[in-house]
Amino acid sequence: MTDKNKQDPRLPDETFEPYEANRRIPLPVYWIAIALAIWGVVMLVQTSHSTLLADKERAALDKQDVAANAPVGAEPAASGKTVFNANCATCHGEFGTGSVGAVPPLANSDIVKAGGAKLIAQIAMRGIDGPITVNGTTYDGHMPNFASALDDKEIAAAASYVARTFTGAKDGVSAEAVAEIRKASAGQDPWAGGAELAAATPGLPAQPSAPQAAADMVQNADVATLVSQGAGSVWSCASCHGDQGEGTQTVPRLAGLPAAYIAKQLHDFQQGTRENDSMAYVAKALTDAQITALADHYAVMRAPSGARPSLDGDLARGEQIAREGDWSIGVPACFTCHGPSGFGVAPDFPALAAQQPAYVAHQLAMWAGGSRHNSPLGLMAGIGKALNDADRRAVADYLASLPPVPATPKVELTAMRSDAQPAKETTNDQ
Amino acid sequence: MQITPTLGLLLALSFVISLIALSILIWAIANRQVRTPDQDDARTIFAPGEGAEIDEHDKPHHFDPVRAGIDASSARPVLWLVGAAVFWLIYGSLHGLAASLELHLPDMMTGAAQMTFGRMRTVHLNSVAYGWASQAGLASVFWIIPRIFHTRLRHAGMVKTGIVLWNIGVAAGVAAIASGWTDGLEWLEIPWQIDIILAAGAACFVLPLIQTARARKVHHIYVSGWYFLAGILWFPVLFVIANIPGLHWGIEQATVNWWFAHNVLGLWLTPLGVGTAYYMIPKIIGKPVYSYAVSLVGFWALALFYSQVGIHHLIGGPVPTWLVTLSIVHSVMMFVPVIAVAINQHVTVARNLWAFKESVPLRFISLGALCYTLASFQGSIEALRSVNSITHFTHYTVGHAHLGAYAFVSLVMMGAIYQIVPRATGKQFPFPRMIMWHFWLNVIGFAVYFLSLTIGGVLQGLAMLDATKPFADSVTLLKPYLEGRSLGGGLMTLGHVLLAINLIALAFAKRETTETDNMVAAE
Repeated sequence: MTDKNKQDPRLPDETFEPYEANRRIPLPVYWIAIALAIWGVVMLVQTSHSTLLADKERAALDKQDVAANAPVGAEPAASGKTVFNANCATCHGEFGTGSVGAVPPLANSDIVKAGGAKLIAQIAMRGIDGPITVNGTTYDGHMPNFASALDDKEIAAAASYVARTFTGAKDGVSAEAVAEIRKASAGQDPWAGGAELAAATPGLPAQPSAPQAAADMVQNADVATLVSQGAGSVWSCASCHGDQGEGTQTVPRLAGLPAAYIAKQLHDFQQGTRENDSMAYVAKALTDAQITALADHYAVMRAPSGARPSLDGDLARGEQIAREGDWSIGVPACFTCHGPSGFGVAPDFPALAAQQPAYVAHQLAMWAGGSRHNSPLGLMAGIGKALNDADRRAVADYLASLPPVPATPKVELTAMRSDAQPAKETTNDQ
Repeated sequence: MQITPTLGLLLALSFVISLIALSILIWAIANRQVRTPDQDDARTIFAPGEGAEIDEHDKPHHFDPVRAGIDASSARPVLWLVGAAVFWLIYGSLHGLAASLELHLPDMMTGAAQMTFGRMRTVHLNSVAYGWASQAGLASVFWIIPRIFHTRLRHAGMVKTGIVLWNIGVAAGVAAIASGWTDGLEWLEIPWQIDIILAAGAACFVLPLIQTARARKVHHIYVSGWYFLAGILWFPVLFVIANIPGLHWGIEQATVNWWFAHNVLGLWLTPLGVGTAYYMIPKIIGKPVYSYAVSLVGFWALALFYSQVGIHHLIGGPVPTWLVTLSIVHSVMMFVPVIAVAINQHVTVARNLWAFKESVPLRFISLGALCYTLASFQGSIEALRSVNSITHFTHYTVGHAHLGAYAFVSLVMMGAIYQIVPRATGKQFPFPRMIMWHFWLNVIGFAVYFLSLTIGGVLQGLAMLDATKPFADSVTLLKPYLEGRSLGGGLMTLGHVLLAINLIALAFAKRETTETDNMVAAE
């Protein structure tokens, strides 16, 4: 190494000093610099343009919100018709005819005639949970409350529309009056059938007496503990799903889901046919009896909707998918299986109405990707794949805007249970 | 904070002003308003052809720093810095390797909090950034500045004080991080109380350099000098502003955080690396760099555009869109200085490939310079929103960071160490073959490392964007790529160990008598 002869003779001696030669800047450097400068200016101008646009849009939206909350008097019928068709007609029919044996009619209804728009608003605000007699026929009444889904103005419009169109009433109800009703209804349970309505509103036709709901099912102490405190190494249901089973974000709403559906999901988590690490852990610690009892607990639970559209979905597109489907991409309407207004069809089809939008969109994506694969006949996998990301958000947001499902009444559940299996089995045997 | 049109206008103006300044500079160069140096000298050099012959001392562009007693004034501080830097290199590499292993062997070191990934990675970052790269770069600065200024290093004692303070600061900072005491912001983890020690150390580096620069005996400052002097002034400003406690909150704090974190790379480590390469490449080859005019463009474009670059880390964050867009535009404008540096350095190497074979230090340095070009191009493209939406929050970014901080800065600094140390000590490295091994371990190790993270990162980003895949998929698919990264990191660390062994053996070797011979470290 110290032998100089082995080195390349071109190597400089140690005293050479680096310096810069005197050459011009190569032309391509100018071109690139100019091109980049132009691109930079265009980019900045474009962004400033879109920022200004976004600001304008935001300001316009704010104005709309202000306008929407402004108090208004009696509503024009057209707007009431829109609200009615979107929210009420799915069960009561576009012409208010109801459905024989299941949904009472509004057209020429003696109750609507007697109570007017104000009574309709009162019912819409609290929902019904109990038998009700309309035009001499007694219906097993379960109506959701629309307090969370519609604002005062919308309820006033729809109630006025019903009273005027279907019973020829002259007076509607104002948004201010509805606001009063909303205050009075806060925290109230649904109307316990026609009997409670009759007690509050003079002049209604004779109503059947409300059943004694409280005595029908003994509150299971074991279940109450599971839900509110957990047991052993298992945390409580309520710690994620909320004390009213309303869910949040990607944690689903459980209140009012069919008992059989809840039980099946818990069993699927146990066996690994539905994947979720948290739920698998919890479900594996539950006995079959506990699962049945928990399913019953949530199936009869009534809770206001905790869901609001929050995914920036296109609500009109979501409504189209939910109510009509989109046959151009092979997607049937959600409501064909999940029931009118997405209230669910026991035992297999869960309610979708008022479900958390992030949960619905996430589950649809999971169906599409194959990480969730426990639906009968692979039905949901096909639908999930057909929907794109925007569609998933659209339909999830639309479903979140719906009123919550009316829960399975306790009486009915007990009856179903005793048909299927001895009621004794539902008590704890831990 | 809603950005008002006025504020947006002001921000846009900073871009426009930078553009105008660059245009004026280029116009001035094109019209010979800027006096290029030694034009007559250059002509006399090039006329005969192959440059001058050895041992002819009165010709231009030759200067004997040994005879002028310049190297003697700086050798000690430089060697101290090299020793400390290599210690932190080994220390940091081991922590980096451990952090990498923990990503695919999560149960490996679960016993103590100090051993968890969050602390291991942070210790790695701080020890290689402040312990290794900064000190290795400073070693080059203290070696090269007196040489190009033709004057001995002033206040060498103060520099030594600075080295002691700086290493106390880094050690205390790293210990604090390992024990869980940090400021909680990436790149600013060292508690501000300890930052005071580091700032004092930095001051002890800056003053001697300024004094040396003021006492310079040359009229023209060679391009390395601009980068070094600029870096040594930029860094303390950045470091102090970003570390003052309680000055910034919320979004503002995040903005300052990334302004600092990116500028540490671009306005501190980059000037150190580029300046070192600018000196070492022509020095080893014996030919000038391509063009003075181009180096002017390269330096000033970096100075004008770089400081706004960091906010591209906050794309998609709740920062005013204006600010992010401005940062993206500045990031892409970085093509200009990078192309300028590339022309100057790569053309010089490409025309003298024989030297690439002849000198191992040059191999380190010019490969490092090449990676500067690659890392910068990659960074400019990565800042675009369309690319960033895939690569952000993935291992791709980690690969990019190492292309810049490792393949560029670290390789250049290792080459510089192999070049400087024999000249500063008058001793040859005892194991020249080991230098070759080091080179190839680093090259192969880094290739494995970079390809693993780049491919894995893109796949990870695509998996995270796919709503139909559960998040866990984006984690599990990474496993083979993370293992590849550990393999690459292991090879790199092994290379560093060889460097340390060679240095230690050299320290204990006897001085040879033929000291200032024409020596190149390897071969």
